[in-house]
Amino acid sequence: MKHQLKSFLAATATAALLASGVSAQETPKAGGTLVVALTGTPRVLNPAVQSGIVTGLPGAQLFAAPLRYDEGWNPQPYLAKSWEVSEDGLNVTLHLQEDATFHDGEPIKSSDIAFSVKIIQQYHPFKSMFAPVTSVDTPDEHTAILNLAHPHPALMLAMSGQLMSIIPEHIYGDGQDPKNHPRNNEDVVGSGPFKLVEFKPGEHVIMERYDGYWEDGLPYLDRIVARIIPDSSSRTIALENGELHLSTFEAEPTLVNRMMKADGISVSGEGYGGIGPIDWLAMNTTRGPLKDVRVRQAIAYAIDKNFIHKAVLRGTAKDALTGVHPDSPLYNANVNAYDLDLDKANALLDEAGFPMEGGKRFDITMELVPFPGYKPQTEYIKQALSKVGINVTIESVPDFPSWAKLMGTMDFDMTLDSVYNWGDPVIGVNRTYMSSNIAKGVWSNTQGYSNARVDELLDLAAQENDQEKRKALYAEFQEIVNEEVPIYYLNAVPMHTFYSNKVGNPPIGGIWSTSSPMDRVWLKE
Amino acid sequence: MTDQTTEPTVKAQSPLSEAWDMFRRNHAAMAGLVVLCCIVLGAIFGPYLYPGKPFEMAWAPFSPPGADGFLLGTDYLGRDLLAQIIHGARVTLIIGLSAAIVTVVIGVTIGAMAGFYGGIVEEALMRFTEFFQVLPTLLFSMVIVALFGASLPMITLAIGLVSWTAVARITRAEFLRIRELEYVMASRASGASGRKLMFRVILPNALPPIIVQSALMVGSAILFEAGLSFLGLTDPNVISWGQIIGSNRQYILESSFTVTIPGLAIFITVLAISLVGDGLNDALNPRLRQR
Repeated sequence: MKHQLKSFLAATATAALLASGVSAQETPKAGGTLVVALTGTPRVLNPAVQSGIVTGLPGAQLFAAPLRYDEGWNPQPYLAKSWEVSEDGLNVTLHLQEDATFHDGEPIKSSDIAFSVKIIQQYHPFKSMFAPVTSVDTPDEHTAILNLAHPHPALMLAMSGQLMSIIPEHIYGDGQDPKNHPRNNEDVVGSGPFKLVEFKPGEHVIMERYDGYWEDGLPYLDRIVARIIPDSSSRTIALENGELHLSTFEAEPTLVNRMMKADGISVSGEGYGGIGPIDWLAMNTTRGPLKDVRVRQAIAYAIDKNFIHKAVLRGTAKDALTGVHPDSPLYNANVNAYDLDLDKANALLDEAGFPMEGGKRFDITMELVPFPGYKPQTEYIKQALSKVGINVTIESVPDFPSWAKLMGTMDFDMTLDSVYNWGDPVIGVNRTYMSSNIAKGVWSNTQGYSNARVDELLDLAAQENDQEKRKALYAEFQEIVNEEVPIYYLNAVPMHTFYSNKVGNPPIGGIWSTSSPMDRVWLKE
Repeated sequence: MTDQTTEPTVKAQSPLSEAWDMFRRNHAAMAGLVVLCCIVLGAIFGPYLYPGKPFEMAWAPFSPPGADGFLLGTDYLGRDLLAQIIHGARVTLIIGLSAAIVTVVIGVTIGAMAGFYGGIVEEALMRFTEFFQVLPTLLFSMVIVALFGASLPMITLAIGLVSWTAVARITRAEFLRIRELEYVMASRASGASGRKLMFRVILPNALPPIIVQSALMVGSAILFEAGLSFLGLTDPNVISWGQIIGSNRQYILESSFTVTIPGLAIFITVLAISLVGDGLNDALNPRLRQR
C-alpha cells in the first residue's frame, strides 16, 4: 500500500513536471551518473531499423522522436514543438524545434524527418506505422508535412517513444544498408538528449549528456550507464547492493514482491501502457476441437483466472479482458469476463459434440512457451482443463526459434503467448486478428482467426480520426473477439519499474517506460 | 577297517551366500538396503495407498509442511508435495534404473569386445570410448534432450549415452585379466567359440565389479536426471523429484521447503544406493575380502 501510494505520488509528480517543466516539490539537480539495467544486448542502437525494448532504452536516449506522451495518453511536444492535423486528416504538419542539432552539431532539418520516415517505412518491422504516408513535404527547414493516403490516427503514437527516431541523413544516407550500418553501434550521431560514449556488447552501453541539446538545462544527468544484465535475480541483487539505480520491464512476480519489501527501493507498475504487453492463451482455430467456438468458450470458462492472478502472479498483474491493453483509452472492459463456471463449460462441450467418456472428452496439446516464467500457468491450465475432460499434453519446446516456427506455421493447438500493443492498435493489435495476416510468422494472426466484421471494424477504425467514433469501433471489435475466443486473455504482463529512492523522476510517468527519453530523470545525491 | 561314514566337516558355501554373509556383516550397507527397500516399496505401492493427486491444486500455494493435513505442505501451485514426492519416486527410480541398464548394455558390449579381441578392435573401441569420456557430460546430454525432445525415454537414453564409459573401461580391464587365466585357455583349447568364451566363460567372472559399478550408476543417473530437470529439460507431463526442485527453485527465498524436501529425498535415495553399492563391492570383490 505504501509503495502504491509512493508510486502514485511519483506519477503525479512526473505528470506535473511534464506539463510545466519544473517540479512542484523537489527541484531537480543536475549531474550524476545513473546506472540502469538492460536485460540483453541490443542488436543495434538505432530504433529506426530495429524494434524491441532492449534497443529502445539506449535508442530513445540517443535519438529523439517528434512527440512524447504523458501518462494520460496526451501527445506532448518533443522534437516537434507543435503540430497540426488537417481537417480531412490527410496532412500532418510538424514544426520542429529551431535550435535542435544532431550530436555532431549539424542542425536537425525537416529533410532529416523525411529521410527518417523513409528509412522506417523500409526497414522497421512495424510496417503499419507509416504505411499510409505517401510523401513528406519540406516547405522549409523546420516544417515537415506528412502526406497521407487516408486518415491515419495511429500516426500520433507512431511518432513517439522509440517508434520514430529521427536519424541524420548526412550519416545514414551514404548508401550503406541502414539495417547493418556501421554507425548504428559506433560513433552514433543521434538527435536525443544523450550521446554515445561506448557500446560493449554483453557488458554495457555508456551514454553522456549532449551539451548541445536544444532544451536549456536538460538533460539533468551527466551520464547514463546501461549495464547489460540478462539474469533477473542478478539485477535485483545489484539494486539491493546499490550498484544499480533503475531496472525496467521486470515482470517476475516473486521479484516484484521481494523488491516491494526492499529498503530504499521503490516499485511501480505504471508507465507501460504504450508498450501494452498482454499474456494470453492462443488457440489454433483451424484444427481439431478448437475449430468450434463453443469448445474455446468452454476452455475460457474452465480456467480460473483468479487463481492465476492470485497464486501465480501474486497480485502483481492487472486483469486483461481483451486484446487492447487495460491502460489504453481504447480498452473496453464491458465484455464477458468468463468467470469460472465448470457447469457451463461442460454444457458447452456436450453441445459441441464432445461427450464425456470415461472421464475424458478429447486430447489436445499445449506448447510450453520458452519464455522464462510461463511454466506455472501452463501447468495450471492443463490441470484446470482436465476437470472438464480435456486432456492436455504439454510439449516442451527447446528454444524460441523452434517455438516461433511452430507459431508462424500454425503447427500447434494451444500455447501461452505474450504480445505487445506498441501504442496504437493499428501497430500492435491488428496483426493478431486481421484475416489478411494469418500465419505470417510469429506474432501474426497465428490463431487463423477470420471474421469479416472484425476485418471491417479494424479497417474503419484505422482511418477514423474522430476519437469517440474510433473508440466505439474498437469497442465492438473487442466484444466480437471476446465472444469468439480465438484468444483467451489472462492478464497484462506485470511489468514493473524498480528504482532506487535516489532517482528523481523515474520513467514511470509516461506510457513508454524507458523506451522514452530520460532527459528529466535526475539523481538526488 | 574303520567305519568311514563321517560327513566332511567343512561345507562348501555357494559364492552367492558367501557374498550375502559378507554383505550382512556390513551395517552401513544393510541400513542402505533397508532404506532403499522402503523407497522402492513406497514408489510401487504409495500411489495406491496415498489418495493425493500430484497435479491437483489442492490448497493454498506454499502452505508449510503440516498445514491443513498436508504433511509436506504444498508447492507454488498449491499441489500436495507429499503426493508429488510419492508419484515422483516412481519416475525417478525408473529413470535411474533404466539409465543404468542402458549404461551397462552399451558399456559391457563395448568393453567386452575391446578386452576380448584386442588389437585393432580394442584400439578402435577404446579411442571411441575416450571420445565419449572427454565430452562434457551434462552439456552433451542437454544437447541430446534439446534436439530430440524432453520425453522420458529420451532423457534416459541421454543419461545412458554419456555415462557408459566407466563400465566399458572396467569390463575391458576384467576381460584383459581373465582371458589369460588357465580355465579360459582350457576352454579355448577345447574348441569353445568366441561368443561362448566371451559371454559364458569370461563375463560371469568379470561381473562383480560391473555389478558394483552399475549399482552406483543408478544413483548418479538419478542425480543426472535431477540436474537436467533443474535446468528445465524434462517432460512436463510427468513428475520427478528433480522436476519438483527445478520448478520451485524461483521461489526458494520465500519457501525453501518446496526445494529442500525433494532434495532430501534425492539425497537419501542416492546415499542408500551408494551404501548398497559399497557393500556389494566389499562382498563381491575377492581381493578386498581378506581385509
